[in-house]
Amino acid sequence: MLIGRQSWQFANRPVIESWASSGGPFEAEGNLAADFDILHDDLWMGQDSYEKAHRHLLEEAINSALQKVNLSKEDMHFMLAGDLINQITPSSFAARTMQIPYFGLFGACSTSMEGLALASFIVNYQGAKKTITGASSHNSAVEKQFRYPTEYGGQKPPTAQWTVTGAGAAVVTDNPDKSGKPVTTSATIGKVVDMGLSDPFNMGGAMAPAAADTIISHFKDLNIEPSYYDLIVTGDLGRIGQETTYELLHQSGLNITRNQFQDCGLLIYKDDQPVQSGGSGAGCSASVLYGHLLNQMKKGVYNRILVVATGALLSPLSFQQKESIPCIAHAVSIEMN
Amino acid sequence: MGDKKKQKLTPEQQQYQQLEQKHELKRPVVKNCIKAFLVGGTICLIGQAITYFYIYFFNFTEQTAGNPTVATMIFISMLLTGFGIYDHIGQFAGAGSAVPVTGFGNSVISAAIEHRTEGFVLGVGGNMFKLAGTVILFGVFSAFIVALVKTLLTMMGVL
Amino acid sequence: MIQSINPEAGATNDFDDKNVKLAEKVKKDIQSLDEIYDVAVIAGKEDTLVAYKVKHMKRFGMKRIEKEINKKLEKNYPGENFIVSSDFKIFIEAVELRERMKDPAYSEKKAEKQLQRIISLKKEMT
Repeated sequence: MLIGRQSWQFANRPVIESWASSGGPFEAEGNLAADFDILHDDLWMGQDSYEKAHRHLLEEAINSALQKVNLSKEDMHFMLAGDLINQITPSSFAARTMQIPYFGLFGACSTSMEGLALASFIVNYQGAKKTITGASSHNSAVEKQFRYPTEYGGQKPPTAQWTVTGAGAAVVTDNPDKSGKPVTTSATIGKVVDMGLSDPFNMGGAMAPAAADTIISHFKDLNIEPSYYDLIVTGDLGRIGQETTYELLHQSGLNITRNQFQDCGLLIYKDDQPVQSGGSGAGCSASVLYGHLLNQMKKGVYNRILVVATGALLSPLSFQQKESIPCIAHAVSIEMN
Repeated sequence: MGDKKKQKLTPEQQQYQQLEQKHELKRPVVKNCIKAFLVGGTICLIGQAITYFYIYFFNFTEQTAGNPTVATMIFISMLLTGFGIYDHIGQFAGAGSAVPVTGFGNSVISAAIEHRTEGFVLGVGGNMFKLAGTVILFGVFSAFIVALVKTLLTMMGVL
Repeated sequence: MIQSINPEAGATNDFDDKNVKLAEKVKKDIQSLDEIYDVAVIAGKEDTLVAYKVKHMKRFGMKRIEKEINKKLEKNYPGENFIVSSDFKIFIEAVELRERMKDPAYSEKKAEKQLQRIISLKKEMT
């Protein structure tokens, strides 16, 4: 049901039946290694190109999520997935393997929440009984497309972020037995915000206003206070973006405490890992949410969380043509039933 | 950022950019310069050692030893790139490892490694000079201009 | 490399007193220049090779120093043919040749040939 200007409330409370995440070697050394279902010690993952490895990550996350609840891919009505590579081929090629009716999504790094919001919407209105949604990114494949070659010895500024090698997938169902399971209760779809920043090595700074805009809209549309949530977690703002968003939220009068406000890009890596301002990429929010955060919810650490995935909608072409970086953010509220 | 660019921004955008600037981490310029100086100097020291190696053990003079030295330095940087070490040096040293000829070798071989999954002709061949191509183009072009100016000056009898 | 070797001046033909004297005199002449700290001179039949090392901080003026030396030699020894070089390779080759010449078995012909080889090395520099 539409609520307010740009939010949906899911009266039937779709269940996140199971979730799984996969990651690469750099993530295995990170903070959340224990929460990954599959970790690779090689960036190639036994494939002969990074793009294939990228696809492999998503396939593994999906298979693992299905296995956990003994479902087969034939049971899935729809699959919603996306990534950052040209024409989202890793996701589409994974969909070819899966043979599940498929929506390809592109929302840059906000794809994970775009997918979860749409999957919840479809399930909530009986468009499907079971759907699977996911997002992924692969450091080498994404850097190859957006930046310099991975082995190129260029110096990254401290504002740069490290693309996460990882994928996350979740099975969203209309299961009436919701006890002890996380459910999605509402979602806010963001609008594209462009504050005129054009430095591709400072994505966090560019995405912060989009994140703030979506979070403010969420609380306005649903008419609730930030204290409603135990945790408000952003996708991949990194150090700079997160600080900036926090200040923007405070300026708007939202009363959010510092501990309540976290970022997947900062959670995933240890402080001593050379990632400059933190993690980024479509796989960042997906692998942290569909691993660490939902595991924590299951353990009872958090009861209600708001996940805000942010995306920078640029292409290598657009920033070379000196265009500024338009950004978007989508929020989904997840609660334990 | 130039004033011209700022004029195009709406007041709202300008206000946000000011706020964002506060949180933005600045490049530690002085520290980077010192690191670049030290690492760049070390690379040149190695180059000098190689030059003397060629002078002592081969029939090269100070002038002609330059060519084999450059070739050796590029070869070393290619090996370091292939073993995945050079990008870490680059992150630490910045211009210190990008400006010497080793940086040129690195930009060629890193692009070649990156695109080898697309095949040898269209992948490696087509992308190898993706980064180094501009260096070659503008290097040759500026050399041409300088030569032209020098020739004209000599013809006019200034030099 | 850095320290001064101060090699003896010499001529390919040891019996030719004139040549030996010339070499010794040239060496003294060049050594008197402030910017230079080491000189090797070998006088051949027709050409005289002068190799020298320039003090580190004075190396910016290498071209000027070379000109100065050429002028000085031309003035002091008209009619002689000098090959002047600041190249380190030429210097070590000259020192080596001087060492070899100390061996009486090393013939004048061989020495002259070696000298010409060093001169050709200097000329190929470009």
